[in-house]
Amino acid sequence: MAGQPPPETVLTDAAHQAGPHDTVLGIEDLHVTVHDGGATALRGVSLRVHSGEIVGLVGESGSGKTLTCRAALGVLPKGVAAARGAITFAGEDVTRLPARGWQRLHGSQIGAVFQDPSSYLNPNLTVGSQLAEVLRVKRRLPRAQAHRRAVELFTAVGLNEAGRVFHQIPAELSGGMLQRVMIAIAISCDPRLLIADEATTALDVTIQAEIIELIKELRDQRGLSVLFVSHDLAVIRELCDRVIVFYAGEVVEAGPVEEIIERPRHPYTQALLRVASVGDFQRRELEVIPGQPPHVGELITGCRFAQRCPAAVDACTAGDIALTRPGPAHEARCVRVDDPALAQVSAAVAAPVPDAAAAGGSDPDRTGDSAAWDDEELASR
Amino acid sequence: MITEVTELTETIAPAPPLLAVEGIDVALGRGWRANHVLSGVNLKVWPGEIIGLVGETGSGKTTLARTVVGLTRPRRGRVLFDGTEISRLRGAALRRERRAGHIQLVFQDPLRSLDPDLTIGDIVGEGLAIRGGLSAGEITSRVEEALAQVGLAPALRHRQPGQVSGGQRQRVAIARALATDPQLLLCDEPVSALDASNRNYILRLLAGLRDTLGLPIVIISHDLSSLAGVADRVVVLYRGRIVEDVPVQQVFSRPRHPYTALLMASAPSVKHDRELSVHQLRRTTADPAPPAGGPASGGAACVFAARCPFAVDACAVQPPLEAVTDPGPAGPSSAGTGSAGTGPAGGGGERWTAACHRQHEWPELALRRPVTAGSR
Amino acid sequence: MSRRRSIIGPGSVLRLPSARIAVVILAAIVFLMIFGSTLEPQNPLTINANALFQGPSAAHWFGTDYLGRDVLSRLMAGTRLSVLTAVEAVAVALVLGAPLGIASVFLGRVFDFIANRVADALMTLPYVFFVVAVTAALGNGLVQAMIPVGILMAPAFFKVTRAATLEFSQAQYVEAAELLGGSKLHVIRVHLARKVLPTIAVTSATMLAAALLAVSFLTFLGIGVTPPAPTWGGVLSSDLDYLSQAPWAPFIPGALIAITVGALNALADAFRDKAPQGALVEPDLGIKTHSTLQSLEAADGRPTAA
Repeated sequence: MAGQPPPETVLTDAAHQAGPHDTVLGIEDLHVTVHDGGATALRGVSLRVHSGEIVGLVGESGSGKTLTCRAALGVLPKGVAAARGAITFAGEDVTRLPARGWQRLHGSQIGAVFQDPSSYLNPNLTVGSQLAEVLRVKRRLPRAQAHRRAVELFTAVGLNEAGRVFHQIPAELSGGMLQRVMIAIAISCDPRLLIADEATTALDVTIQAEIIELIKELRDQRGLSVLFVSHDLAVIRELCDRVIVFYAGEVVEAGPVEEIIERPRHPYTQALLRVASVGDFQRRELEVIPGQPPHVGELITGCRFAQRCPAAVDACTAGDIALTRPGPAHEARCVRVDDPALAQVSAAVAAPVPDAAAAGGSDPDRTGDSAAWDDEELASR
Repeated sequence: MITEVTELTETIAPAPPLLAVEGIDVALGRGWRANHVLSGVNLKVWPGEIIGLVGETGSGKTTLARTVVGLTRPRRGRVLFDGTEISRLRGAALRRERRAGHIQLVFQDPLRSLDPDLTIGDIVGEGLAIRGGLSAGEITSRVEEALAQVGLAPALRHRQPGQVSGGQRQRVAIARALATDPQLLLCDEPVSALDASNRNYILRLLAGLRDTLGLPIVIISHDLSSLAGVADRVVVLYRGRIVEDVPVQQVFSRPRHPYTALLMASAPSVKHDRELSVHQLRRTTADPAPPAGGPASGGAACVFAARCPFAVDACAVQPPLEAVTDPGPAGPSSAGTGSAGTGPAGGGGERWTAACHRQHEWPELALRRPVTAGSR
Repeated sequence: MSRRRSIIGPGSVLRLPSARIAVVILAAIVFLMIFGSTLEPQNPLTINANALFQGPSAAHWFGTDYLGRDVLSRLMAGTRLSVLTAVEAVAVALVLGAPLGIASVFLGRVFDFIANRVADALMTLPYVFFVVAVTAALGNGLVQAMIPVGILMAPAFFKVTRAATLEFSQAQYVEAAELLGGSKLHVIRVHLARKVLPTIAVTSATMLAAALLAVSFLTFLGIGVTPPAPTWGGVLSSDLDYLSQAPWAPFIPGALIAITVGALNALADAFRDKAPQGALVEPDLGIKTHSTLQSLEAADGRPTAA
């Protein structure tokens, strides 16, 4: 973050030149309810994204990471609202911001990329014209200048022959190229924050690696802060400076990425690590996390992971569990966080092989009953 | 004398493969503008092994699976199952072969491959219903067996695909394939859409089928790391050609083709213990221009040359897929290297083949390249 | 993901207020159709020379016609014939068109081409002349007259069913069934038949409206009418003859026809609106079915997913 080369683009907004510890996005004790207040999907989520930082949100489907992004973008679906807590963007409280206020922020302050770029692009228009349109509307650039700037942006995101790509329609471009186009659109007005929700999940592994590098480059060159959501801990490891682990609508662990990988303190994080370590090619055991997460809004006393946790004790279900700090900048929500025996307990558990009788037991999958909300469901509303 | 020779031949003769894909060419479109999706693909599968077929989007891996089961017709080449040619079957003969259920394909997206209006029981039992000869009760019990094999409760057969989760849908698709007692399973990206835990669960399931039933499985994936725990052999496809076909221990310790190495280096990992970084395997503007005449322009150069940092003039000719001659570091169970090693169940043939003119030189060159990104 | 909503199920369609009104109206019509003859306040054929052209009154709710016959009774009596023959026409069209539409997808290009051209040709024929020709041959009666109407409506069912079948036949679960060794018949029976039903249902409702309009028009022209049997169109026709004596009169049968046709179209629209994503495939039929409420979709033959 310090000692990076000066940004290439001319930054007109003075706020961009703030120091590295300036908070771009702040979320404080956010509670989000769904079904018009019928159930609480997010509880007490707090996080900060500082200037030039890449923060990763990791968790299973339905853990609340996408909901948090949507709250930060002001695009919560109907019936879903922030019931408590505050969201600030560059110091401005945006928790109850009306749509008009968000219009001002979208694009020029916050940009976003999502999983499937082709569903965000008009299939009948050239990608260049779609980017140029954003520039004309938000930056009031005249046509010719918008065209030039669009080609520059395409080059900046790594598209070869940017001039030719300008005139192509989405169907003529590969998934990786389309995602670069989306990134170009997202950063076109020099936002301070880029929110990427499963942006690399649908890409081939070689392209994924390139996009990860691209995001890092953009951070280095432009001081861009990034909120990166993924269910893949390995991707987060490659890209992010800090990681926040979500489970069933709560933050269960947060801290610098190396710290979390080396010394995870929450049993869920430890389980995620075991499962994700297939990248270690020499190992041949494949781990699973037995059981299923609770339904959205399910009322549980105490730790929401206790029913699946190999290290659970009575204290876990006694009452609300607060975040504790096992290290500087490292938080974990576990009563046994300081217990040295914890790491051994969770490692000792090996998940059983596929079991006919287990419609719920060892099945790492939820039954898909209607009470649960997928991230996919949320995205489609 | 002659008797001795015959005896000798009998002992060396390798077991024939269960599936043999020979010289398959598939092109979509006509004439000079045809898109050559597959060129000269050869593949052999023996019982009891899991093969990981790896390639990017556009490599032709799904087309290869579709060609094997007859959904796509090859321009050239043939597919043999248990010695019988199945690629020329049409009409009633094809339907008869399919009803026998020898080869089953599990499609990539269960949302599309499962009829949303049918119950899971109907879907899983469809192959048996088509085959005929079983009473409704018998079909039900077979369906429940198949569901049990994939770890789903028998009660699930009354539900519809839309009422279960994504991971469970994927298992239903596998159960449908298993219900007919197949001898070979092809799975097209079975785990790409799942999170890590579900992914591992399904891979373990497939490994279990190989171990208990000796069922050979071809798992198609775009990502090597998802096969690491289960594959016995890895076949790497690039732009319609096989560039490497290698036992799994060897591929991870020392791949022979730079594209294989690139795939491995690109895979994200929670631990940073890679031998080579992606930057050492990617072509940069500093590298000399690759030989012209790649397949996109209809030429005969190596498919990977345009992207390969180690391409030289010799790469203007597509390298043949040939046996790797010098032995790499010996894996725990590798019997032979190169020529006459034995396959997993006594099958023979080349165990390790790669298509690269410089397969012995490029690893050294890669290690000398800068580890982090220089100028683009 | 939730269970796919049934298009015909009461829960979904009846949420629309227009659909509710339509159902009430149509239920009343059906009721009239079944019980009409017993509920007629008076004999529709009785001529009463002393009570010509009377306006609505206690004795005659809709007044009397030029022969002193009770209009209400005549209309009630006419309901049965009009509605039943309209249903007859739709039935003929459905039985001819739908199976051929499904088969056309599977029987090869030549069959498909020929079937489409035949359908195109039929769609160009003006039905009145065709009806006249057929009734001349088969005898003058509404039942005979609606058969050619049905034949001329068959292309609509053909095109619609064909488009829907084409769309669904490209689904991956159909490929999966083929891979299991399923024959075309199996695919149709197990997978496709149930999926084209919503489309057929919507088309039936729309065609029923068109058929009813056709019945009214034909009987208005006097085709297929065996006097003195009452029909809606016949009543309308005679009312127009005596417009100067009873200017209010044509509104009554006219309103009856319009309301019934409107209700059918509203129901069809409600089906369309409430159909789950992708359940309906309706091409533009390119023919005038006398219904301005019918929405026009993409060009002929090309399926558009709802």
